Amino acid sequence: MDANTVTAPPLEIHDLSVAYDRRPVLWGIDVEVPAGKLVGIIGPNGAGKSTLIKACMGVVAPSGGWVKVFGEPLDHAHRRVGYVPQRESVDWDFPVSVMDVVLMGRYGRLGLLRRPGAKDREIARASLDKVGMLPYANRQIANLSGGQQQRVFLARALAQESDLYFMDEPFAGVDAATEAAIVTLLHEMRDRGKTILVVHHDLPTARNYFDTLLLLNMRLVAFGPTDDVFTYDLLQRTYGGRLTILSEVADAVRQRG
Amino acid sequence: MTDWIPAFDPHRVFVEPWTVNVSLKLWIVVMGFLVLTTCGWVGQYLILRRMALMGDAISHSILPGLAGSFLIGAWWAGNGSASGEGGARGSVPMFLGALVAAVITTVLIEWIHRRSRVKQDAAMGTVFSALFALGVVLITVFADHVDLDADCVLHGEIGFVPFEDYFKVGGREWMPVPVARMLVVSLLTAAWIGMFYKELLVSSFDPGLATSLGISAQRVHFLLMAWLAVVIVSAFESVGAILVVAALIVPGATATLLSSNLPRIFLWITLHAAVSALAGLHLAVWLDCSIAGAMVVAGCALFVLAWAASSWSQWRARRLMATGAPPEPEERTLTAPPTPSSPGRSAA
Amino acid sequence: MPARAAKIGEITDIAILEQAIRFFSFQDPTLRFAVAGAAMMGIACGVLGTFLVVRRLALVGDTLSHAVLPGVAAGFLWGQTKNPVAIFVGAVVAGLAGTMVATAIRRTTRLKEDTALGLVLAGFYAVGICLVTMIQRLPTGNKSGIDKFLFGQAAAISAGDLKLMSAVTVLVLVVVVVFYKELLVTSFDPAFARATGFPVRLIQDGLMLLLAFAVVGALQAVGVVLVSAMLITPAAAAYLLTDRLRRMLLIASTIGCGTGIVGCFLSFLGNSLPTGPIMVLVASVVFAGAFLFAPRHGLVVRWVKARARHRRVGRENTLKALYHVLESRAFARDGVTLKELALRRRETLDDADRQAKALVRHGLAVVEDDGQLLRLTSEGKKRAAELVRNHRLWELYLTHAARYAADHVHDDAEKIEHVLGEDVVWELERRLNYADTDPHGKRIPTLAEGQARTGRAVEGVPPPEGGVP
Repeated sequence: MDANTVTAPPLEIHDLSVAYDRRPVLWGIDVEVPAGKLVGIIGPNGAGKSTLIKACMGVVAPSGGWVKVFGEPLDHAHRRVGYVPQRESVDWDFPVSVMDVVLMGRYGRLGLLRRPGAKDREIARASLDKVGMLPYANRQIANLSGGQQQRVFLARALAQESDLYFMDEPFAGVDAATEAAIVTLLHEMRDRGKTILVVHHDLPTARNYFDTLLLLNMRLVAFGPTDDVFTYDLLQRTYGGRLTILSEVADAVRQRG
Repeated sequence: MTDWIPAFDPHRVFVEPWTVNVSLKLWIVVMGFLVLTTCGWVGQYLILRRMALMGDAISHSILPGLAGSFLIGAWWAGNGSASGEGGARGSVPMFLGALVAAVITTVLIEWIHRRSRVKQDAAMGTVFSALFALGVVLITVFADHVDLDADCVLHGEIGFVPFEDYFKVGGREWMPVPVARMLVVSLLTAAWIGMFYKELLVSSFDPGLATSLGISAQRVHFLLMAWLAVVIVSAFESVGAILVVAALIVPGATATLLSSNLPRIFLWITLHAAVSALAGLHLAVWLDCSIAGAMVVAGCALFVLAWAASSWSQWRARRLMATGAPPEPEERTLTAPPTPSSPGRSAA
Repeated sequence: MPARAAKIGEITDIAILEQAIRFFSFQDPTLRFAVAGAAMMGIACGVLGTFLVVRRLALVGDTLSHAVLPGVAAGFLWGQTKNPVAIFVGAVVAGLAGTMVATAIRRTTRLKEDTALGLVLAGFYAVGICLVTMIQRLPTGNKSGIDKFLFGQAAAISAGDLKLMSAVTVLVLVVVVVFYKELLVTSFDPAFARATGFPVRLIQDGLMLLLAFAVVGALQAVGVVLVSAMLITPAAAAYLLTDRLRRMLLIASTIGCGTGIVGCFLSFLGNSLPTGPIMVLVASVVFAGAFLFAPRHGLVVRWVKARARHRRVGRENTLKALYHVLESRAFARDGVTLKELALRRRETLDDADRQAKALVRHGLAVVEDDGQLLRLTSEGKKRAAELVRNHRLWELYLTHAARYAADHVHDDAEKIEHVLGEDVVWELERRLNYADTDPHGKRIPTLAEGQARTGRAVEGVPPPEGGVP
């Protein structure tokens, strides 16, 4: 690792555009995320929140612009990036155990022809333990509750031992205990210097959970420390003139004062 | 390599069919048109409901139903008055056998994917291949009683349809019996679609809304599957089990590319059926191959044309949009980026 | 059109036993080739079919197997004979072209996946049929045996075919063993795999290539139409039998292999039975068996479990009724008559008698007085008190914590009382501050510790037992 990559920011997005089926979803996004931040990506439905992180991860191909991870193109930095997709994106009837899923987090580091070894298993066990799912290691994944499934995905991300994480709606459809556990875990990870970007849809809690916010509505509306960005003005610009959401915004801002 | 493609002789391909033995060729085209258009109409609903491959499943799995109806017919004939060989090649037992098989298929598929974790696609694949295999075994084992040929079951042959018996009214020969039968099915299908137009539309578009309006999506599904079986059986001797899938899907798929208005789609389907029946006959005459196969190939060629046309118009629309809308994004470049914008907060 | 589905055993008059001996002695080289070929293709198809089933691509397999037909025909035309290599190449090219066209249709038009697959399936097949009928018209055509590809003919498997099949099977097994982790992660979670740097598209394309190989190999044995069954049916059965991919691969290939052998055998026994369809039928029977009797997911097993649960709930409701009867007279006497029980549950005496017998069978009660008087055993008393406690605790919890109205909680508690575990009960008691009266003013029998703390003694509740956490 040369000096350039040491000082390079974990994530640098330049003029990123994405179109689905020729319909633009994201336009000219420019962001540079400093290290050790817990970033919430906030915006209305259809704002392109998931698309943004999928484009950062190379899961969807951008139609323009570029993304650099720790100063390198993504293809060279896969190992330093962890990903928690939306829970509904996989088939939970799939014939694998909890342990198998978490071990997948190690696959990116193994390379061709190698199988997960004792060390990988140890890391996977530790990750499961951290999210309180170790007792379920040998369960088939269909036998888990929504919150437990989300924890398994988090454990898989932990097992990746990355420095930059993308999480797509990790709080969707989980119980309150899991939500609290995830928040604690995220804070702990951030304190250890990891950079985490989380797609989040609940405005009132966003302010408490994240230290940095990225307001998105097809274009980047604002990016910065929560206290600076979580303003009536900017939120209104993000959510446009939607009345119900506006009142939610008003409530959220009022809570803040 | 060249001897298997006959030389293209315009006289033989275009003139002879309409000068020598005209009535046979005419009835083949009419039959092909009726089959393609009837299947196309019903198939359009399969496409709308995203279950195009249900047509594949049902067309395969009615085989044991057909074989069973033959066997029962033969048994009946053997027990009762020995009315002749082959028992019932009548249409009624065949329709009934096929209907029963279609309902069993539908129920089994639903049952397997509801009651176990096997997904719908695998359930479909398992059920129809099992029933089809059963049908083939029945046909081979009881070959003496079942007047079906395993080969014919697969791709039929419109050229072998008996066009000699004419349907007569008042001493006048109107049309061959098979054509008359197909015409009746076509008219019934049209009437059926007309009658249940709104139910089919609503339940295909939004099953939830249909339920709230008091239309049972389940019942409509079974109704559609039963009617599908009737149409497939009547098309069976012309196009067989697999080409009937083409007859179900190709016209509708082509029409869907050309219009997004349902009544207009039905018009396009009819037109597509007519053109592919006509073009298919000439193709078959030229290549001296299966007429039903050639009709489907012609239909597929029309689909490719429609595909090209719609892609071209989309490309043009994109070009037009690109001139007015925000600048066309450049190629994705992951190397040599320009200097990044200032870190931290930025607002668009 | 004399394309009867083909069969192996051509001898009519030999008894079944002799046929069986002939089969298992494997003296007949044709038979050896047929069995070896069918068994190997069963293994390859089972392995690949597993990935199709878990990726929900079952119908892609069906499409691909129909789409190879024009390639098979073109392979014939190449050499005008049945040249295995030419047919193999032609069929693989056609199959892959088919999947590519389906993908292209889905990407560039608004037609959905099912329609795209149906179009390719039927369109390619139609082209194939045209070619086949053109070949049959050729002077060499009728002898070429191309019609055998429609239903397959295991008997026609030659040494050359067998070599090709072994190569395919070995290739499939090696690839799956070597790239197991890549196949697993891209099947389970393609987005994650892409983000982790796996070439998801490449792996999917590779799987399709292998699939085309296997389909073409299996064509000989089962034919174009039924190849998809050899892919899907064994894998679907295995999907019901296990919860692990590795085991599923093993089971599916075993079923595939066994199906191939048994299919050959049956077809050999009954001389008019076609091999391909028989193999498919055997596989379907295995699937039906798995569907009904699989240890965890089988229908019968689940039905038996549900019935046992239903009966337990029935017994527990009887216990509760007995407790209520005893409670209504302040636990004055131990015995409850059948009549009292029937009155309480608003049932006939026959019903009450049946319930009493069920309790006796499970050691929860004894009958006296010629079966008219029912007395709970200590185990029965304990269980009855537990149930009533569960019910009332839950009612209380709902009214207190969840703010339900008192008249809304009974039905919910009826269900929950049968499933509350010890831990939950302790937690409920703690949260409810060891309250002793339910929302309807009835007393709540307590667990041991609750009783000790509140110093409350309820008649009829068994003395505290060990095992308090």
